[in-house]
Amino acid sequence: MSEHNLKGIAKAQKIYSDRSQRVKELKVAGAQILGYMCIYPVVEIISSFDLVPYRIFGSIEEPITKADNCLPTCVCPFLRSALDLGLKGKYDFLDGVVMAHPCEVAEKLAHIWRTYMDPVYSFYIDTPHATREAAIEYHKESLKDFQKSLEVFLGKGASSEKLKKTIEDYNEQRALVRELYDLKKPDPPLISGVETIEVLESLMSIPVKEGNELIRDVIEEIKERRGGPAKGARVLIWGSIIDSIAVVKLIEDLGANVVMDDTCVGSRFFFPDVETTGDPLDKLARRYLVDLKCPRTFIESGIEAGKKDYAEDLALRFGYLGDYVKQWNIKGVVLYALRFCDTHAYEVVSVKDYLSSLGIPSIYLEHDYSATSLSPLKTRVQAFLETLGY
Amino acid sequence: MYFAGIDIGSTMTKVVVLDEGNAVLAQIIGPTGAEHRRLANKVMEEALLQAGLSFEQMTVIIATGYGRFNVPFADRQVSELSCHARGVSMLFPNSRTIIDIGGQDAKGIKVKNGKLLEFVMNDKCAAGTGRFLEVTAKTLGLRMEEFGEISLKSTRKVAISNICTVFAQNEIIDHLSKGIALEDILAGLHSAIAGRVISMVKKLNIEPDVVLTGGVAKNAGVVKAFEEKLGFCVFVPEEPLITGALGAAILGKESAHEYLLEGKPISSKERILKEVAFYG
Repeated sequence: MSEHNLKGIAKAQKIYSDRSQRVKELKVAGAQILGYMCIYPVVEIISSFDLVPYRIFGSIEEPITKADNCLPTCVCPFLRSALDLGLKGKYDFLDGVVMAHPCEVAEKLAHIWRTYMDPVYSFYIDTPHATREAAIEYHKESLKDFQKSLEVFLGKGASSEKLKKTIEDYNEQRALVRELYDLKKPDPPLISGVETIEVLESLMSIPVKEGNELIRDVIEEIKERRGGPAKGARVLIWGSIIDSIAVVKLIEDLGANVVMDDTCVGSRFFFPDVETTGDPLDKLARRYLVDLKCPRTFIESGIEAGKKDYAEDLALRFGYLGDYVKQWNIKGVVLYALRFCDTHAYEVVSVKDYLSSLGIPSIYLEHDYSATSLSPLKTRVQAFLETLGY
Repeated sequence: MYFAGIDIGSTMTKVVVLDEGNAVLAQIIGPTGAEHRRLANKVMEEALLQAGLSFEQMTVIIATGYGRFNVPFADRQVSELSCHARGVSMLFPNSRTIIDIGGQDAKGIKVKNGKLLEFVMNDKCAAGTGRFLEVTAKTLGLRMEEFGEISLKSTRKVAISNICTVFAQNEIIDHLSKGIALEDILAGLHSAIAGRVISMVKKLNIEPDVVLTGGVAKNAGVVKAFEEKLGFCVFVPEEPLITGALGAAILGKESAHEYLLEGKPISSKERILKEVAFYG
């Protein structure tokens, strides 16, 4: 089969192995590509201006050699790696970048990227960290500013109609991703955790409509195919960014199936829809601030009651994980955080407590974002699976 | 039937051969080293010689430890956590907490009825591992094996405050330059290791009986430091290095029985006693 005839999973694997190939083709044909870091820069706004959003990742395979001149070594290795790739010219095809405030380091990186990479266009969305009305209002105003800056950059006005249409395209993609995840509910799942990442990363590397076509093909393919994953321990992986298949592959090579996730390359980014009635900017502000469940946003219960109850607080913050555990029949959870990811590391104790309250065993792994340091993780995961009886 | 467990640690490679009655027919301990890792088969051959058995007589071979995937002739790989839990439980049926300190890592293991319940392992850091002692031995120009006996003479142990292996060496040199007795420095060092490891294992709730294993358990000074900090006696196997390999052999035996009951073939693949091929 020639490259251009590739479909479904084979196509996703091709895109995963050379993520920028498609946008580079589109660029030759006249498209403009806007890079975005983390899940908070609103992709609907980017696409509504006919720009192609392209998620910026790092590489666990590539040793960091250049970024250490611009960022301290004791910060998020993913962000250091992403900047390192940028400094090595791997993101030179981007026409601009938009970054947000997932954490302190990413905020600083937004400015450092601007200084050292000097993109033609750049914008920083100062995403608030709370979910009360005033914060949503503030977020909406920031998104308006983002829209305005794109109007100036492109010399054309924003269209509310176009934005609404784009939101529908993305909601369609999200429904398809949820459908794909439904096919991970049977035992064995119809698609492996590794393949899931390959598909989802492809979606973040090509225009939304092409992505929708791709995932439709994937769903059709896995419903029909033989030789999918074999039965194994049903595992959920929670944690900070996992932009390489390596960690999930390590778990699945030990005989388990990663059937569900809560990471920003998986369900966390793709599951929540944007409401389609009313002011689209307001709905986008709400979706990104309230519905995206990343530990970077502070949520707590008991504000009205004037007191805090730990169990209630845990249920409010992580109740969705409890639903995942039930619906995907999860037997154990791998909590994964990158070294120096304070945002996730602080959350680990609470997530562990919540899972224990459900009777679900979990293991916490810390990784320094390098492909050469995976074997200690392998021992831990293997021993964890043995405690689950596998 | 005969069963072998091979435990390839970061520093030492251990092999135990058992018969069906759990009698130890061979017990080999040798350095892992850069070349030895390629030569797991040599250690195995040595064990077979000691046991007076041929390779074909082995019913199940289980590999464990850091290098477990480098044993092409093993039937299965099991994590060292489960193997230590199993091996120690055979030697100490009342054990609930195992603290294993090896060449490059320290582990806390909770065990019940021979099964691994929970575990913690040290991060990528040499403090609180055998490497910490090795580096110190070099600094002091002593043999690591002498540390235990010397430190037991201490009457006024000093505090080694730094938990970093590299910076602790500076502290040791500083103490030496102040004329502090060697035994007091070593006692402080052992106390620092015990403190570091206990703070990690505490996440698991340390319940007696506690069994100390791994190369560092051979150091009487470290054992004493653990007992002082925990406030009760800890147990040390006669040969604290082999519990992983022993556990692997026992797990091999148990899996063979399971397979026999289920009517499945015990060994699923063709085993050839050869060195691992890394390239190609």
